[in-house]
Amino acid sequence: MRPSVRFACCLASVVALCSVATADVTLRLVVWDGDDGLGVVRQAAKEFEAAHPGIHVRLENVPYGQYATKLLAQVAAGASPDVAMMEPKMYQGFARRGACVSLDGFFGQTPDFRIDDYYKPIVDVHRFEGKLYVLPRDIAPIGLIYYNKRLFKEAGLAYPDGTWTWDWKPRPELKEKDFTWVIQQLSKRDAKGKPVQWGFVPAWTRAFADTVVYSQGLRYVDDPVHPTRWNWTDPGIVKAYQWIADLGMKEQWIPSSTEISNVLMSSSDKLFLEQKAAMFQCGIWAVPAFRKALKPGSKEWFDWDITLAPGHIDPRTGKAVRAAPTGGSGYAMMSSCRHQKEAWLLTTWMAGPPAMRLMAKAGLAQPAIKRLALEEPWVPGPSTPEDQRYPPSRKFTDEAVASVVFDPTADYYLELNTYYESKVDSVMAGTLTAERAFSLADNDAKIRLRQILNQQSLPPFNWPFAAIGGTAVVAGVLLWLYGPRQRKLSLAERKENRAAYGFLLPWIIGALALTLGPMILSLFMSLADWDIMTPAHWRGVGNYTEAFSQDPRFWGSLRVTALYTVFAVPLGLVVSLAMALLLNTKVKGIALYRTCFYLPALASTVATSLVFKKLFQAEGGLINSVIYGGDGHGDLFGIGWLLEKIAGAPGPANWLGNERLALPALVLMSLWGAGSGMVILLAGLQGIPQFYYEAATLDGAGPWQKFKAVTFPLLTPSLFFTLVTGVIASFQIFTQAFVMTSGGPNDSTRFFILHLYNQAFEALRMGYSSALAWILFAVILVFTALQWRLNRYVHYEAEAK
Amino acid sequence: MRPPALATRALALLLLVGGSIVFLIPFLASLSMALKSPGELATTSPWQAPIQPTTDNFRTVLTNENISFLTMFKNVLLIASLSTVGVVFSSSMVAYAFARMKFVARDKLFLLVLSTMMLPGVVTMIPTYVLYKELHWVNTFLPLTVPAFLGGGAFNIFLLRQFMMGIPRDLDEAAKIDGAGHWTVYWRVLLPLCGPALATVGLFTFIGAWRDFMGPLLYLNDPAKQTLELGLNTYNSMQTTSPWHLIMAASVLVTLPLMVIFFIGQRFFIKGIAMTGIK
Repeated sequence: MRPSVRFACCLASVVALCSVATADVTLRLVVWDGDDGLGVVRQAAKEFEAAHPGIHVRLENVPYGQYATKLLAQVAAGASPDVAMMEPKMYQGFARRGACVSLDGFFGQTPDFRIDDYYKPIVDVHRFEGKLYVLPRDIAPIGLIYYNKRLFKEAGLAYPDGTWTWDWKPRPELKEKDFTWVIQQLSKRDAKGKPVQWGFVPAWTRAFADTVVYSQGLRYVDDPVHPTRWNWTDPGIVKAYQWIADLGMKEQWIPSSTEISNVLMSSSDKLFLEQKAAMFQCGIWAVPAFRKALKPGSKEWFDWDITLAPGHIDPRTGKAVRAAPTGGSGYAMMSSCRHQKEAWLLTTWMAGPPAMRLMAKAGLAQPAIKRLALEEPWVPGPSTPEDQRYPPSRKFTDEAVASVVFDPTADYYLELNTYYESKVDSVMAGTLTAERAFSLADNDAKIRLRQILNQQSLPPFNWPFAAIGGTAVVAGVLLWLYGPRQRKLSLAERKENRAAYGFLLPWIIGALALTLGPMILSLFMSLADWDIMTPAHWRGVGNYTEAFSQDPRFWGSLRVTALYTVFAVPLGLVVSLAMALLLNTKVKGIALYRTCFYLPALASTVATSLVFKKLFQAEGGLINSVIYGGDGHGDLFGIGWLLEKIAGAPGPANWLGNERLALPALVLMSLWGAGSGMVILLAGLQGIPQFYYEAATLDGAGPWQKFKAVTFPLLTPSLFFTLVTGVIASFQIFTQAFVMTSGGPNDSTRFFILHLYNQAFEALRMGYSSALAWILFAVILVFTALQWRLNRYVHYEAEAK
Repeated sequence: MRPPALATRALALLLLVGGSIVFLIPFLASLSMALKSPGELATTSPWQAPIQPTTDNFRTVLTNENISFLTMFKNVLLIASLSTVGVVFSSSMVAYAFARMKFVARDKLFLLVLSTMMLPGVVTMIPTYVLYKELHWVNTFLPLTVPAFLGGGAFNIFLLRQFMMGIPRDLDEAAKIDGAGHWTVYWRVLLPLCGPALATVGLFTFIGAWRDFMGPLLYLNDPAKQTLELGLNTYNSMQTTSPWHLIMAASVLVTLPLMVIFFIGQRFFIKGIAMTGIK
């Protein structure tokens, strides 16, 4: 920046405070808010522009699931936005690598700005090595319990006032002061002993488990910023998870994991709305949706409120300790920002009173500034409209902040935590005890942790070597392609050769300009330690040796992927062939049938994944309804018996929750998408000349002979294509597992690409991820080459003489 | 072909109807959820038909000012159409060379083409993004359309090559005797014969571009440039209490145009074929 411009910027920001500006500046602001939240952010940005003439805001939104991935790509390309939304578990990866700037130096620029106005925990969690990197906009304690007043009244219980405690067993003598007793009182079973109402349900298991762990005074790691030890095998943590699993499966006071997967829409909030669970633990963000679903006067309505999650009596002091997990978010300024003063103005606006009041009014987020969390519109008051009064006891949100515990912020925490987290489902489903599950996880996690802690500093990436190596690779490929020729080409051949390369030209341009460069770069990076944001370091073949000998997930994920391929590809091929033959018949309305069969391949992933989750529910899911009949006691062709044997667990098949059934479920699900293969084969069938059939009919051939002599041979080119591309795609299966199971339960659907993706974008190990990718490349290449031998059985009409 | 026996026809019809129902279930469930009010959705089974059907959700999605349906529809229509045109022409050209011409290193080069499919996109994503940024293509439709014209992808090349290899050489040899060059054979003889395969490639490309999520997510920043699949994902916010009534309505609206296109387009699998005359 030239000095004059810088001066102008300074001037602009100073003058902007008085709402007069001199130079026009455009700032890019990126958030992950969707739907309602996005509307509020947009309005806040508009008001900012109105208050600061000359500063324009370009608001971008990226879905949360891909937010970090896109931001990483932008940082790598030097194209990051100026101000970006961040959260505790996300910012450290960026801050540590200098991708966002520390904010402390800007405080003085805003006269009435005081960081002490903000809730201390949410500020502290965003400090890394003493510097603040994120200005918080909201804090979201998950230590809140929503409760159904009608069900409390029905059970003759007083409404909770937030002073209760939990213990491992109900304490009848404490009455309503004991959370576990209240849960017990509020759960009901029918005459057959089947639960019809549960006392309590958490939004997700970890929300409750963390509360139980934290309020015992325990933490998952020794140090949230630089953890060196994971405590999941601590008796208190093991007991907490086992207790919750037992509450669901033995006592049936809370829904078991099977039952949660049965009822949830996307989560267990539905149980609370259906009045099947009397209490619900969640952050305050459930409120807008609850207000919409429980409109006063509608038949779904019931009276509800919120209170604090229970504390736990410390046996040594006899005092109640209250602690619960927390969320929250804020805004960071990215280092590439060229108008930092304006960006700071925007940051303090979006993470300051103007935007916070708007968010509070929508009931979306608890202001990170304490003062605002104590007044209207966050806390209902005289001027609050009737439809925004719920929940009446919003004041508890401020009290909840006193007991918040944040997840550790270390950038390697998430990666290591997945080792334990992926076992939680199995504990909740009862297939593993908590003790066994977490000690298994501990074995794997320790291997990774040792690597992380003992990481030696590596030399800078050896670009000259890579350049020589890269040239050698290219030369090798060229030599393989055009190596010493057997004989000289004739004139006609040379002409044809030239013409052919003319036809190939589009591909050659695309490959040279767009495709091969990134491929070769990723080959380089497979020899590097590269975190995407800072220059790569040289690791040589270290990534490859790590993959084969030290990665606890390498062989497992490869095995799961191979297993999936072995079942999904042949099944898919058979089903699509059958469908294609069926849809090739001449009946009325065939276009409609074809559309129906192809429809699942057209539908959007998000919606489909929800529908399939519901299809695979253990109870009330369509698939199990077919197998076990409407009453749940039937057994179609003994499939139920077979599933029970495979699952190793009694009761209806818990498809996505059981580690032996999740993979079969994904294979089954893939068959719904067989429409794509069907279309290809249908095109192939249509390409078979009619006269072959006519000739066969003249020879007196029946339908089976026609299929054997005409249809099948002439369809082999299409079948071969479907097989080869099917295997390639199947080895790279990702989306299904990403949205349906996240690799669980117990890693049973942790496919190779899922592992590779997590290494790249969660652990920020793009170098290692590249090595994994090239190993997979080699595997796929070998399998493709093997299949290529089938070519001799493929009937190519063009080659037939 | 003489009409199959009555029993065969009945069986086929049974399978068609039964299969249609099975394959319709996911869509019908989405539709049913899209037609429910948030309250009803929260308290009824997804398999239950709406008791008081409402089109409010569709109206909300179509008229949301924050997420303009019309703009996103126009954007994705442009991107998908351009990609389809590009892929159909460029991949058929490349496929023609591999299927019909003799040239140095043909089979090895074909393996090289296929190999571009074998490396997971995760690891080429960042370098590709940097490349497009250096080309100043970020936040334009170019990264989503130009590659279509440059080969059209290994999958499509392979598919068309297989199909072309299945077509007897009689006609192109006849054309060659008449003095036609490769271009004429490709354009006048092979392309018309490849109708069903071209329709397949075109259909896949259009659907793929329409449904593409990661591409638009990475390369398009402005909300005004977003595509349907990306923009409608906005409803799927990170909150545990996602507005499923809107997500389902949005997903039905994204799928409907594709259904219509497939319904109309599937005719070409039959009509495109003109091979009965070849001997």
